[in-house]
Amino acid sequence: MELARIEKLLDKYFEGETTISEEKELKVYFTGETVPSHLEKYKDLFGYFSAQSNVVATRATTLPKANNLRFLYPFIGVAASVAIVLGVFFYNPNTTEATGTYEDPEVALQKTKEVLNLVAQYMNEGKKDLVYLNEFENTTNKLLK
Amino acid sequence: MKESAFIALTNGFKDKLFRFAKRLLVSQEEAEDATQEVLLKLWKNKGKIGEYKNIEAFAMTMTKNYCYDKLKAKENNNLKIVHSNYKDERPSLQRQVEAKDSVSWVGKILDTLPEQQRMIIQLRDIEEYDNAEIAKMLDINESAVRAAISRGRKKIREELTKKHNYGVG
Repeated sequence: MELARIEKLLDKYFEGETTISEEKELKVYFTGETVPSHLEKYKDLFGYFSAQSNVVATRATTLPKANNLRFLYPFIGVAASVAIVLGVFFYNPNTTEATGTYEDPEVALQKTKEVLNLVAQYMNEGKKDLVYLNEFENTTNKLLK
Repeated sequence: MKESAFIALTNGFKDKLFRFAKRLLVSQEEAEDATQEVLLKLWKNKGKIGEYKNIEAFAMTMTKNYCYDKLKAKENNNLKIVHSNYKDERPSLQRQVEAKDSVSWVGKILDTLPEQQRMIIQLRDIEEYDNAEIAKMLDINESAVRAAISRGRKKIREELTKKHNYGVG
């Protein structure tokens, strides 16, 4: 009686109409001991399917170490721009050290005169050498009249 | 998500991914690579894991796509002169041992089926997913799944009957 049922299930099985539980039943039946000889070949089939579901991967999965600081990466640019902006605002080029000054206007006048004289003196010294340039003037005047 | 939680989550279906990849790629090594690759991709997108309704089915689909890419790459490499052309043609020890076991005929027959039938038989008869799940994983409709199951099973039966009648391979 069971055999008839199994044969019926097999027919259904090959039509792809069995349910998962019916297929489990077939697997149990064909991995058992008492299988009639004309159904012997299906023993291999269901035996194989049962055996295959026990095949496992031998290599362990390795995951790359999570980088805990990775979430900071987008903020590096922000930090850099903030640094630049602050730098621009807080940099004051006029912070050169104050030079000494004269309190007394008389002394100041005196000193200024001294400095200007010094400049004028060097100026005149330099201008002495330019006398030679007048030669050019003379020559041109001669030619042009 | 913590690493340990991720491992615990994926351990539930990791071997299924592996068996599925092995069914398609045949090679043990490549199947291990495929499994690792798929899990890595999942790990990288772990932030979105909560969004997927069925992470297992999603991983299966990823595995299928990965294997398809691999198979395609292999086809493209056919014209290359590679050392493997000259490899030892004798079956490996493992193969020899397997061949003695008549159960392994089923595996060999299975490997001759078209890719889609092979995948579907794997998912249905070995992993015991129902047709709706398989249809979703492979992105085809349910009647196509049913048709492929029936066709694949009949083909296996046919080959098995031949083997049993002649007792040779």
